Order: sequence, then C-alpha cells, then structure tokens
Amino acid sequence: MLRVSAQVTETEVDLQGVNGVVSAAGTGVEYGAQLMQFAEAFALRDEPSLALAREALLGSAGAAVLVDTAGVAANFQRMVRIADAMGIPVDDMASELSQAVRSELDLTRFESSKNSLKST
Amino acid sequence: MFMGGSSCLLTVAMYGHKTVCKQGRDDVSYFRYDNSTYAIREDISAAHAQFWQNLSSPGNWWTGAERVAIANEVRNALSCDFCANRKQALSPYSFAGEHRHSDSLSKVAIDAVHRVITDQTRITKAWVDGNVAKGLSKGAYVELAGLAVAMLSIDEFHRALGLSLEELPAPVAGEPDGYMPALAQEGTGFVPMLPDNGAVGDEADLWGDKSANVVRAFSAVPNAVRDWIMISNAQYLSFEGMMNFDSPENRAINRMQIELIAGRVSAINECFY
Repeated sequence: MLRVSAQVTETEVDLQGVNGVVSAAGTGVEYGAQLMQFAEAFALRDEPSLALAREALLGSAGAAVLVDTAGVAANFQRMVRIADAMGIPVDDMASELSQAVRSELDLTRFESSKNSLKST
Repeated sequence: MFMGGSSCLLTVAMYGHKTVCKQGRDDVSYFRYDNSTYAIREDISAAHAQFWQNLSSPGNWWTGAERVAIANEVRNALSCDFCANRKQALSPYSFAGEHRHSDSLSKVAIDAVHRVITDQTRITKAWVDGNVAKGLSKGAYVELAGLAVAMLSIDEFHRALGLSLEELPAPVAGEPDGYMPALAQEGTGFVPMLPDNGAVGDEADLWGDKSANVVRAFSAVPNAVRDWIMISNAQYLSFEGMMNFDSPENRAINRMQIELIAGRVSAINECFY
C-alpha cells in the first residue's frame, strides 16, 4: 500500500523504511523517520524508546498526528494475529506489484509465509 | 443509565440479528479519555465504547461473562511468564507450565487466548482441530480470536499513547445463540468462512460481491467481522477510505504515512500478509 500510495501521489519513497532504515523512512514521507521510530518502539514493546518516540513525534508533528499514528499502529497489532490464527492465505499472490514488493522487502523470511503463500 | 439511546441503535445496526443493550455502567462513560493529554478523535472513542458494549453481551458461542473473561485473559497473556518462555522454545508443545490466568475459562480457552496474543505464528490447523476434541469448537475459537484481537487493538492504542487501560465492562446476562451462517464452509484457512459471494441474507452487510481473506477470516461469527470493521474504520481506514491513496478524510496523516506505520509494525510482527 505504501508503494501504491507513492505511485498515486507521484512521490519517490524507499520501501526499506518498512524494514527499519531511518534514512529510507524519511524519503518522501513527511515525519517519516519519527513515524517509523515510533512504530518500531511500539511494536518491539520497548517502553523507554516508545516514550522518547512519542515525545519526538508530538514535538515535531503535533498531537493529532500522534493520535492517528497510535491508532494505525495499534490496529496492525491484530492483523498478523488474524491471519495466523485463522490460517488464511494472501489473496493476490499473482499481482505483479504485490510480488515485486514482497521480493524487495524479502517477506518470505517470515514464518507466517507458510500459510500466506498457499493458493486461495 | 444509557438505554435505548443512539448507542443501542448502533448496536442494532451493527449486530443485525441480535438486539442487546448493556444494563450495567452507562457505556458513554467508557473511553471518555479525560486522562489523555491529547485530544482523541470522537470516532475512535465511539468505536471503543461500542466494542465494550458488544463485548459485555452474549455472543454466538460465549456468554457475556465469558467474553469479558476472554478480554481479561488478553491482558494476562501480555504479562504471562509461561508465554514468554514458551515462545523461546523450539516447539510450543515441548514446554510445560501454566499460564498466568484467571479462573473463569477452561484451560483450552485460556491457552487459545494466550496463543493468539503471544505465539500466533505457530498456530496450525492440527492445533485448531485438536482443540475441538477438547471442547473448543471452531465457532467458539473464531469468536474468541475475534474478541482477543479487537481487545488487543484497543489496549494497544492506550499503550501507544501512554494512557491507562480502560476498566472492563460488567457482563450482561444471557446465553449464546449458537448461530453460524449456513453458507460458512471449510477450505480457506483453519476454520469455516463465508465464501466471497456468501455475504447474503443476515450477512449482507459484511461486504459486497468480493472480499479479502482477512475480512472473511472471522465470518463464521459475523459480529466478529462487524467489530473488526468498526474498529478498523476508526483506527485505520474504512473500506471506502482504503481506496484513497492520497489524503483520507478525517486523518492528520496521509496515506503514505499511514502505510509506513502499518508496514513497520507488520514487519516487526513478521506479518507476511
């Protein structure tokens, strides 16, 4: 979806921001480095780093951005659990864009790909 | 007492075949976010309060008390030493011990909540099938998982902002109705699901002609899908909003920012999906 939104808005982004590369996260995405670092500290349950990231994001982008960021991050804590707990495969494995993004991010390294890669 | 007001009407709209109104604490007093330093969007507060009301009411396979107990078990799982140690083991079945847990649910249900929250990557169809023989039907498992992940999503929102967790609601009396859509069928994942073209009749509100597997995942328990959509609409995007790849309405962050956050969380969670 990051790739698609970048294409739609004709913005150059670096998908390695998703893999935690700070300089990549800031490429083409406003507050990208702070957003990525907040998401990372949150998902890793690193509470001291999360507190710092929260203050950094609040200071640079404001409260409304912080709240929306928290909402998205919390929402995606459940997506992997839905997929893995129900054993569902990904729908669009044949999509050229989807396959390119998965290759670029090396997603097959994840354990859950064993279910996700089944054909529907 | 909040009875018959707009929130109850929302419950009717969301829950189609079932009309329930909470009779305990006034649900509008939940998720007021008075202790928040930051202004919380009203649609987020409303969705969380509505889920609390839904949580407290009987479902298809669990009573209101059991549903609240499942929610409580989500909180136990996140501080469960056994879960933390088991996750490090080569196999989740090679490690003996006992979960940090309350006493309201069966052992198989407690373990299922903890697995969904702390070790979901290693859940297999054989484990889900084996739990049926231990008394956890697939319908009950779907409802349990739906509650667990919705609960997690709300609690995690609080953790993200450094807010204290909301008090769990008092359960509403009543029995589960055992409902499962007639069109639900095995074949896609570990549990029965409605097919793409199965959102008809009482389930016509779930999706249109076609849907993603992640939306269909809980469709053996339609209200779990409705809760999924309601919370996602507020915390992430509505289905309509997902088609806006630039700047979705009512959001302070644009779509690229949204997907960078989603992508980083998903990558750390090893979410291939």
